[in-house]
Amino acid sequence: MHPVLGSRARLGTYLLAWVPGVCLLAGQFLAGGWALRDALALAGPSCLLASALFLSSWHLCRVAPLRPDRTLSLLGTWAAASACMGTLWAGAVWLLFRLLLDLGLLGGALVVPVLAVPELLRLAGIGAVFHIVTVAFHYLLIAQERTREAETAGRDLRELAREAELKALRAQLDPHFLFNSLNSISALTTLDPPGARRMCVLLADFLRSSLRLGEQQLAPLAQELELLRAYLAIEQIRFGSRLQVDWDVDPRTGTVLLPPLLLQPLAENAIKHGIAQLPQGGRLRLRAHLVEDPGGPGRRLQIGLDNPMDPDAPAPAGLGLGLRQVRLRLRGWFGPEAGFTAGPVGDRFQVLLTFPESDHD
Amino acid sequence: MTEPTPTAAPGRRFTALLADDEDLARALLLEHLAGHPEVQVLASCRDGFEAIRAAAEQAPDLLFLDIQMPGLDGFEVLELLDPGPAVVFVTAHDRHALRAFQVHAADYLLKPFSAERFEAALAQAKLRCGGPSAWPDPAALAATAREGRLQERLLIKDGARVTVVPLARIDYIQAQDDYVLLKAGAREHLKEQTLSSLEPRLDPRQFLRIHRSYILRLDRLAQLEKTATDSWVAVLTDGTRLPVSRSGYARLARTLEY
Repeated sequence: MHPVLGSRARLGTYLLAWVPGVCLLAGQFLAGGWALRDALALAGPSCLLASALFLSSWHLCRVAPLRPDRTLSLLGTWAAASACMGTLWAGAVWLLFRLLLDLGLLGGALVVPVLAVPELLRLAGIGAVFHIVTVAFHYLLIAQERTREAETAGRDLRELAREAELKALRAQLDPHFLFNSLNSISALTTLDPPGARRMCVLLADFLRSSLRLGEQQLAPLAQELELLRAYLAIEQIRFGSRLQVDWDVDPRTGTVLLPPLLLQPLAENAIKHGIAQLPQGGRLRLRAHLVEDPGGPGRRLQIGLDNPMDPDAPAPAGLGLGLRQVRLRLRGWFGPEAGFTAGPVGDRFQVLLTFPESDHD
Repeated sequence: MTEPTPTAAPGRRFTALLADDEDLARALLLEHLAGHPEVQVLASCRDGFEAIRAAAEQAPDLLFLDIQMPGLDGFEVLELLDPGPAVVFVTAHDRHALRAFQVHAADYLLKPFSAERFEAALAQAKLRCGGPSAWPDPAALAATAREGRLQERLLIKDGARVTVVPLARIDYIQAQDDYVLLKAGAREHLKEQTLSSLEPRLDPRQFLRIHRSYILRLDRLAQLEKTATDSWVAVLTDGTRLPVSRSGYARLARTLEY
């Protein structure tokens, strides 16, 4: 369906835009010595005719989209189409003129209107100009529609990406971790019943806070750390003395907002690919601090995780993907303001992320 | 009363070895085994290396083997062990490993497991013990479990000692009868394996068979020289010269695109 005919408002605007056309045309007739009544009586219906006829240029605009590298061929197309349509319209106006004359709707005044060859040629020229203007209008319409479509598509895409991200995050919860935790509970039920209950509660805490965090777009660091504490407490029950955790967290960082479930995968990596690969285990260090932003007025949050690793172990397959995901999410939220580095430093693997502080208001 | 399941000869005693890196997981296995006085637990190992050492020294009848362990994983342990114990795999969640157990009819326990499931696996392992089906084919199991994934390191066992050689350190591999000689800088390792069985498990972008007896790590190649007898010699970055066969030359030319 033609976009102008699709909406009443747009049709009204389109027809209104033809009023100057009517004036121009009537002016031409007046200049030819016509009476004002006759000039308006022909100019009005003629322009209405043109407005309907020239809607066809929409198809022309769709077939010949604007392209800078094809300017010449486009100009040719427009000129030919406008000449044809202008002539066609001039012919139609002449027929209309004869019809109105026969019906006695023209020529009641003192001067009898004449529409001969020179006037008709001029009419064809005016028609061509009208047509060119309509073509330009249609290109504008198409461009506007494209923009709107792109905006809708972009919004849909972003929505989709966010959904996919959350799905991925939920799937990211390592089944190996869950089943091993259940196995630990199974062992604790006879060895240490209160310990079994504690572990059940920790597991529930962990699952609950990861579900809650997964529903948010941004969450305060305090919530993320709460999740991390439950997660690491469970892992410490599993790994016993092989896993030690050092916390070095500035309490003022608790309100800083960040994309949720960003740190848990990093801690999981540190254990799975680092500490769990070492028979003697090791210490996971976690830091969070606020520092003055050297390039701006605000402050930046700095989070660091590092863990010992086996320098001879082959690079694990899943590690790169998890780190890249964290980097992408950080970039997605904070743009070029986000900093992310990850890699071995001596015999430890270190991940460092920084981004500007933004608080709950 | 249901049909009695076949059981091992009454009065027979068994020795067993456990390998799991989690204390609680080992404790749970010990608890289940405590109800079986006929099974004597020789050792409870915390990683693959310990398991290899204990198995080599004590030759158990039964081996309860976790898959994910530091150092060596369960499949690597299996590859390095001398045939003998009836193996029961214990794992939490590993699709590839599960498929391997099912395809090759190995006994396994999925964590967490019920007492009934444990009893069934133990009875099955006792039956297999000493029989021809006690020992799952380590290479076939590992191949199924690692489906599509290429080797990243080679393991060499000498008695109870295990050496891990990362593939990134290897310059070339030479066939020597039933062994392969791994040349890694100034060090050499002998591994009991044929060159042909090793070749498909190496990354073809990094390793190339240039001769019946040689596989070369491509980034160690410095130049190719033509000899007087119209054959080719590969000169490595450290100056080592290796013969290149006619088909080896064709493969090299194809891979290096010249």
